[in-house]
Amino acid sequence: MTATQAATAAVTDAPARRGRSWRRVGTGAAALALALVVWELAALVIGDSVTLPTVTETASTLVKYLTHTYPEVQGKTLIQDALISAARILAGFMLGTLAGVVLGSAMAGVRVVRELADPIISVIRPLPPIAFIPLLVVWFGIGETSKIALIFFGVLPIVTVATLGALDAVPEPLLHASRSLGASPLRTMLHVRLRAAVPGVITGMRIAMGGAWTSIIAAEMIAATGGVGFLILQAGNYLQTPLIFSGIAGIAVLGFLFDGLLRLLLRLADPTVRR
Amino acid sequence: MNAVTLPEVARPTGVRLRDVRKTFHRRRRAGRAALDGVTLDVAPGEFLCLLGPSGCGKSTLLNILAGFVPADSGEVVVGGKPVTGPGPDRGVLFQTPTLFPWLTTWQNVLYGPKARGVLTPEVKREAEELLTTVGLADARDAYPHELSGGMRHRAAFARVLVNRPGVLLMDEPFGALDAITRAAMQRFLLDLWQERRTTIVFVTHDVEEAALLGDRVCVMSAPPGGTKDVLDVDLPRPRSYEDTETLEFVQAKRRIREVLER
Repeated sequence: MTATQAATAAVTDAPARRGRSWRRVGTGAAALALALVVWELAALVIGDSVTLPTVTETASTLVKYLTHTYPEVQGKTLIQDALISAARILAGFMLGTLAGVVLGSAMAGVRVVRELADPIISVIRPLPPIAFIPLLVVWFGIGETSKIALIFFGVLPIVTVATLGALDAVPEPLLHASRSLGASPLRTMLHVRLRAAVPGVITGMRIAMGGAWTSIIAAEMIAATGGVGFLILQAGNYLQTPLIFSGIAGIAVLGFLFDGLLRLLLRLADPTVRR
Repeated sequence: MNAVTLPEVARPTGVRLRDVRKTFHRRRRAGRAALDGVTLDVAPGEFLCLLGPSGCGKSTLLNILAGFVPADSGEVVVGGKPVTGPGPDRGVLFQTPTLFPWLTTWQNVLYGPKARGVLTPEVKREAEELLTTVGLADARDAYPHELSGGMRHRAAFARVLVNRPGVLLMDEPFGALDAITRAAMQRFLLDLWQERRTTIVFVTHDVEEAALLGDRVCVMSAPPGGTKDVLDVDLPRPRSYEDTETLEFVQAKRRIREVLER
């Protein structure tokens, strides 16, 4: 019986799949290690720690400023700066995602809203959010509000377009199937149309997250008194190259972490990406 | 119909169509008549095939029966009640299985009862029996993308049958399958109908499929669609796939084809 075969295949597949995923992790780690070796060799050849510090020097700087403040007086530790940046991103990202999902859903459901919002979104979307930094500083000052607003306006159009696209792409027979199985229009809306769009929305969120990091680092370099962007700029001003690298490494770790969380969310929402 | 207790046995219901018309209106273009006065009766427990060239409105007719689109005029009655919208009394099987990809086979089958608030232990027991009937008892926790094409269609069958519909509306359900899986699904459907005797309205553009499955074949004319003729296929029941090689079968096919090409 084909059913039995497929079911047993699904069961026996699991360990093999797990083995494959571990191999992928191993290959990825090896690639990173190789990049570090190349960096170390290049640093040794150049022999100038301001141009390119060695991996070991960068690592020790990184570890030192995890607990020490920079600058020494009135400065913050790397962890504090990272937390400041992460908090700004999270606040702006969550608000932007929420507003984007609401706006995108409204556009998908109500024709007038779509016709009104579509041209505005089309004009705003290609604009780089960092172009608005001076304007936001004028409006909201150099405090947290201007940073969160910047992330918000960067995330909003991307998530809106992703939500709209995902909702439009839900196949009509899926909605018909739900209705003819006895589900009410409201239940069909919530449990099928919105549910079917979730993977597309999360993919949009992942794209928006990349842009959010670009915006926040730029904003912190232009007008801020804390955050990883501020730290990198300060370190650059004093030719503290190892600390620049440490800041960049901090962004890499946080970026990887946030994207990992979103990927996890996608795996939970969409069984077809679980392998 | 939405009573909390399900009827003991799904009672097959009849279908009655009287002068059903439907025109699709497009912007800046003249409306395209899809159905031009269709009159048709399907007896309870009958297997009726709607046959016709593509664009003849047979899918439109099925969508009207399912309640997805309203007819412009005419009478559409299923089981003594005029059709006003989609409902679980009419089980619909689409060209693709349209399983919900985020639900397992088991969750897909229970979607209907859950949505209607009738998810009792009894219904669960019946759902389990249905999964065994369609040969998916071992795949109940698999997601649709992990199933083969034929398995997905059988899961869709179980999902519809758990609602105990009085009539099954099938829109070229095996059209996208490969020839071998398709033959297996036709065999499966014949066995299922033999056992349950649900009323079935089956849309197809395949003469052989219509002759093999149907008690009667309603041949529809080219657009705008109307009924050209309704032919009886008096081949003995229960039918099996091997019957396609008999002389009677070939003759039945020829009669259908003659009407089709008339």
